[in-house]
Amino acid sequence: MNLNLKSLYMVLLLIFFVFLPMVFFIFTQIPQRSILKDTISIITILAFFVVLLQFFLSNLNIGLKSIFQSSKIIKIHKILGYTAIPILLFHPFLIVVPRFFEVGPRPLDSFIKMITTFDSLAIILGIIGWCLILLLGLTSILKDKLKMSYKAWKIFHGSLALVFIIFASWHSIETGKHMNLSMSILVILISLAASILLFKSYFTTNKNKG
Amino acid sequence: MAISDISGCIGCETCVKVCPTDVIRMNRKSNKAEIKYVEDCQICHLCRLYCPVDAITITSEKSIPVIVSWG
Repeated sequence: MNLNLKSLYMVLLLIFFVFLPMVFFIFTQIPQRSILKDTISIITILAFFVVLLQFFLSNLNIGLKSIFQSSKIIKIHKILGYTAIPILLFHPFLIVVPRFFEVGPRPLDSFIKMITTFDSLAIILGIIGWCLILLLGLTSILKDKLKMSYKAWKIFHGSLALVFIIFASWHSIETGKHMNLSMSILVILISLAASILLFKSYFTTNKNKG
Repeated sequence: MAISDISGCIGCETCVKVCPTDVIRMNRKSNKAEIKYVEDCQICHLCRLYCPVDAITITSEKSIPVIVSWG
């Protein structure tokens, strides 16, 4: 029974965080671009969905804790986090990587042009999101040095992750790259579910403590 | 088709400036570039090459003949 539940949970996570994003990506990718460009896009999209998945693969998820060991959940959470965060941090640089293999402006010129187009709301949101994920990664690495109580850490880390998700989702929808209606709805629904899970966890904890 | 899609535009206007046949114009409401006169596209790829975020997709097919020089 437990094994079935585990399998079911894993299948559901794979459907919502890997299969559906890839299906929607393929639908927005006609005609296809180069293999390098598509690979960069797929890696970035998957990294973003992994960060969304982190809310559901954490101790916030009481349902998950009844199926998997807490230590195992934390281990997977850390592995996925430390894999996805560097990808998202390098995401602005990855965009200009194909420039190394094409004629036209230099990669550095394209990069500077991109990050200095402050007329664009998508760029402003992207820069804020980039700073937030940098903070999220750094505070996770330096967690022990921050000397926070578990409760304070849980609130800080969860809130920071939520703020990041809001800005990142808004940035991706505003940019519109690989974002058809289905993908946007999926991102919004997962972000909403993550927010509800986070607030429910905080509320339940406070209620139990009180 | 020639220039077929602009997806992920950040509104830097580079493509508008480099297009030799004014195919692309800025949509001032959304602050993004849009394909306005697709029939004038000569498939020169300048917009795609100069776009800093690789937002432009170009197909090789064209519904009207490409303008070439005499002789």
